[in-house]
Amino acid sequence: MKKTKAALAVLTAAAMVVGMTGCGSSSSSATTETSSSASASEGAGGSGEASAAGTSDLNIMLETSVMSLDPQQATDGTSFEVIADYTDGLMQMDADGQAVPAIAESYDLSEDGTVYTFHLRDDAVWSNGDPVTASDFVFGWQRAVDPAIASEYAYMLSDIGQVKNAAEIIAGEMDKSELGVTAVDDHTLEVTLNVPVSYFLSLMYFPTFYPVNQAFYESVGDTFATSPETTLSNGAFILDSYEPAATAFHLTKNPDYYDADKVQLPGLNYQVIQDSQQALMSYQTGDLDITLVNGEQVDQVKDDPEFKTIGAGYLWYVSPNIDGVPELANLNVRLAMTFAIDRDAITGDVLKDGSAPAYTAVPPQFATGPDGSDFSEDQTKFSDVCAYDADKAVEYWNQGLSELGISSLTLDMIVDADDAPQKVAQVLKEQWETTLPGLTVNLVVEPKKQRVEDMQNGNFQLGLTRWGPDYADPMTYLGMWVTGNSNNYGLWSNEEYDAIIAECTTGDLCTDAEGRWARLYDAEKIVMDEAVIYPLYAQCNAEMVSSSVSGIEFHPVALNRVYKNAVKAE
Amino acid sequence: MPKESKMALAAAGEVPYVPSDEDFRLKNNAGEIAIDTNFAAQSFWKDVLIRYFRKISAVVGLVLIIFITAMAVVGPQMNDYTYSGQNLSQKNLAPRVKGLENLGIFDGSETMNTTTGSKKVNYYQEKELDDVYYWFGSDNFGRDIWTRTWTGARVSLIIAVAAAVIDMVIGMSYGLISGYFGGKVDMIMQRFLEIANGIPRLVIVTLLLLVLQPGMLTIIFALMLTEWVGMSRIARAEMLKLKEQEFVLASRTLGAGSFFIIFREVLPNIIGPIITQVMFSIPTAIFTEAFLSFVGLGIPVPQCSLGSLISEGFNSFTTHPYQIVPPIVVMALLMLSFNLVADGLREALDPKMKEM
Amino acid sequence: MKKYMLKRILTSLFTLLAILLVLFILMQLMPGSPFNDEKLNDDQRLALYAKYGLDQPVVVQFFKYVGNMLKGDFGVSYNISKNTPISQLIQTRLPISIRIGGFAVGIGAVMGLVLGLIAAIKHDTIWDSLATVISVIGVSVPSYVFALALSYSLGFKLEWFPMLYSAKEAFQSSVLPSVALSMFTMASIARFTRSEMLEVLGSDYMLLAESKGISGSALIFRHALRNALIPIITVLAPLIVDLMTGSLVVEKIFAIPGVGSLLVTAIQSNDYNVVIALSFIYSAMYIGIMLVVDILYGIIDPRIRLTKEGD
Repeated sequence: MKKTKAALAVLTAAAMVVGMTGCGSSSSSATTETSSSASASEGAGGSGEASAAGTSDLNIMLETSVMSLDPQQATDGTSFEVIADYTDGLMQMDADGQAVPAIAESYDLSEDGTVYTFHLRDDAVWSNGDPVTASDFVFGWQRAVDPAIASEYAYMLSDIGQVKNAAEIIAGEMDKSELGVTAVDDHTLEVTLNVPVSYFLSLMYFPTFYPVNQAFYESVGDTFATSPETTLSNGAFILDSYEPAATAFHLTKNPDYYDADKVQLPGLNYQVIQDSQQALMSYQTGDLDITLVNGEQVDQVKDDPEFKTIGAGYLWYVSPNIDGVPELANLNVRLAMTFAIDRDAITGDVLKDGSAPAYTAVPPQFATGPDGSDFSEDQTKFSDVCAYDADKAVEYWNQGLSELGISSLTLDMIVDADDAPQKVAQVLKEQWETTLPGLTVNLVVEPKKQRVEDMQNGNFQLGLTRWGPDYADPMTYLGMWVTGNSNNYGLWSNEEYDAIIAECTTGDLCTDAEGRWARLYDAEKIVMDEAVIYPLYAQCNAEMVSSSVSGIEFHPVALNRVYKNAVKAE
Repeated sequence: MPKESKMALAAAGEVPYVPSDEDFRLKNNAGEIAIDTNFAAQSFWKDVLIRYFRKISAVVGLVLIIFITAMAVVGPQMNDYTYSGQNLSQKNLAPRVKGLENLGIFDGSETMNTTTGSKKVNYYQEKELDDVYYWFGSDNFGRDIWTRTWTGARVSLIIAVAAAVIDMVIGMSYGLISGYFGGKVDMIMQRFLEIANGIPRLVIVTLLLLVLQPGMLTIIFALMLTEWVGMSRIARAEMLKLKEQEFVLASRTLGAGSFFIIFREVLPNIIGPIITQVMFSIPTAIFTEAFLSFVGLGIPVPQCSLGSLISEGFNSFTTHPYQIVPPIVVMALLMLSFNLVADGLREALDPKMKEM
Repeated sequence: MKKYMLKRILTSLFTLLAILLVLFILMQLMPGSPFNDEKLNDDQRLALYAKYGLDQPVVVQFFKYVGNMLKGDFGVSYNISKNTPISQLIQTRLPISIRIGGFAVGIGAVMGLVLGLIAAIKHDTIWDSLATVISVIGVSVPSYVFALALSYSLGFKLEWFPMLYSAKEAFQSSVLPSVALSMFTMASIARFTRSEMLEVLGSDYMLLAESKGISGSALIFRHALRNALIPIITVLAPLIVDLMTGSLVVEKIFAIPGVGSLLVTAIQSNDYNVVIALSFIYSAMYIGIMLVVDILYGIIDPRIRLTKEGD
């Protein structure tokens, strides 16, 4: 096999990279703060400048508690953030969201793009003293696809990562030992893919791909990752106090971390606060260094230099049940509804957290193309089918109604029983009902689990839902509307669209980055032309970050906050 | 065992004769035991009214309830706003009332406490809304809080009254019957009650709301299933206290039936605690609804109740405190007046308190 | 008496079992499933059902659960904290809820009794009105508004107490939540004490006691209060259980790691084992307290005969 040695620094240009999502102007300050300290971590050796370590912990507010610290079972952003605090994968995210080496020092890629060989560093150790070896990764990855573990993110290895045999193992057709990942020796890991995957390296910082020490795992059994004693660290911090679903827990700096010189915080102090007013008060008294702020409080803090809005990556959209509701099968009705939405009012007057109006099926600022441009930077590219235009909306509406032979229409929209979705839904109802004569929209509020179930069962008319990107490629969104995909709630089906997606996932375009990119535009255009979804906004989080703290890295994908390079001034 | 055979056996001296209810029937007067109640009732209720209106606090309470109920009916129509009509360009405006604004109150200004210092602002002037008046202010969608408060009061009153009536009927009967009959009947009825009440109310209510379409009827139904228990417990405890007393025995000896004793003899004597409990079931009902709003399962948005308005205002508590004030004040006045009325009623109804 | 108590305890156990069965059936009726995340496919969902034995008939699940429960195994959580044994999840949280709830009951009961007694003894005076107003505020302002107001004034502005719960300062940080929680109890107890005391004070035997020369505190406490206590205990008992099993809103505001917020989250995320275990604990406490109340009736009021067989 002929291999090309690729220097990691060069590689990142070819890989899909994740840019900082800027929400409004205020986020730029966060970017500049982080860039200086981040540039230090580029060298793989760990010989960076060792500045004096701080003496006080960083106090971080969380909105929800950790659901699981098991890297292969965790599914939510909070859990990912904490797992990544104390675990390193093959790659890590730098301040700009690009994949840079972590446990892997370097890698080789075969010429056909399907075999990755990772060379692991030899100074990485687990907190029990064991070295981090290639077989730890093999064990972790096999757990991810093991049907007995039933990991929710198993598809990261199969559909997304295209790791050889992953799909068959998940389906129970093969033994997990057949997975296309092998430990050649202690420090060499070989990964075989079905087809070339352009963004494969950027998956490597996703916790599902993190290593698990087999001997340790077997010694703790079922209690793995439920207490400090049952977790093992190979990262910048060590978990030293934690209880399942704890409202407060603590991590301390890992002295044996291979890159310990660069870590300046002595520890991380997490506090779960569900009430945002309490959180802001705690922030004001200095008990917290970083906290979320909700819409109402933004008025209180918007002039504060410590106020920042940070991209959360989520696209919120309304999914009409095209298959199940005859009226919504009418394209003109769907177009009328999407033209009747004043997205600026939703983000500017109601959410106020910096969220940006979205007019594309793939939200802006998370997927960067081969030429370095943002996939959805131009939000007006579909303005002929998705914009705010009340006159056009009424025009389409009347045309739709006459085609259907009706004069009025009543629709139910299911909405999560959370604060933000209910707010947005109330505005949508009002906008639709005032703009489109004869339309009545009733809101049905349900807990999220039930809302998802109803949508999966096709038991809905309109659904307000969201999707967060799992990896930095438009496919994380566009893959959803393929015929038969379980997240294609409206059961929309289009042969041409399916063909384009197949071509870009496993077909000829796998290796042709520019060609694939162009075809993905075509696919998105079909979704928008057909008004398969009504995009609403790209979510941002409004946060307060103490001016004494710098170097926290914020990302819209995978790991939302990284503290490794953060500094807290005394 | 049939009575005849039992008597026969008793006569034969094999089993000691146990008297049954039928042995105590009033002779030649079956079913007409209530002969003098007509007259008694008239004078009794007249008495009650006189005693009730003698108490000033009770009258004040009644007037307040009538006033709030009237406002709940006409309040939403008193201006041009609707409870759901949004105007995002006029959101979060402080209360402003024509006339009063010249006195320096209700002039639409508010103090904003920001992290960079506090300042007094008047968004009406900033946005040049010279002819716009939100009497209670507007919320974060630019909806009129005045209209929403009274609409919410309407919803809450309906829920509360329905819950109270159901409480009265189901809970009281259940408790009285269980307490009066005692023994096995009591045992079975109390075990059933324990099962019904041993499951956290939250589980039952949330489950019901998940299964049924959320809305006012579902909430009333859910309250009906859970709220009667407290009342039944009070009624039973009172019954246990009273049933051994002489007047019950006397009535029984005279041949009164069980249900006559329960509802005509015992009930008037325990009306005080019952009324008090009813008046407490009203806030409980309103609160349960408010709690459901808090977890997002109350009255579906954009409809509102006092509870959901308090929950909404709660989110702006530190930013725009005026938004939570109207629903809380109306709620507190409602509670106060229900309490005053309850107090007045209890004293007016309690025959033993005549002399006080 | 002993025979009665034994019988009563046995029936209570039976009731508990019945409640458990009802809970199981309720879980089946619950819409949604713990494993309907957007990212799972159908095969994985089936695998998860099989893994946790949720594909079996309810009856089988029920008996398995009861069997495991007797061994102290309440199953694992599906969502809140994945694969964590419920016992581990609850054992640190329940004591916190019980402690804060206990404080709240204590504060509420004492304050309520005092307010109620004052109102009854000083009937129709300014004291009575004042006590009424206080208790009305107590019932008409939701506990979360109290909680935030307390936190804002005593925590944020005056800095007397910590705003958030912390394990290091367990006592100080329990003060604000306990006070916020106690308001409703206080108000209920005050109203009931007042109404009961008024009734008792107007009764013939009080007149008799008074005419026998008993007066002052002896009259109030030994004679009047004793008789008024029965309905008060009846009101207090379920409140105790409610408070000790945690309050969602207060836990949410003060960031208390208690069981109240756990239950709500569990219901909303279909975490069956957590719902069942917490509901069961609630039921056990409830039935236990009802048992105690029934027995207390006999002690406080000798007129109630507990054993009344063969009517």
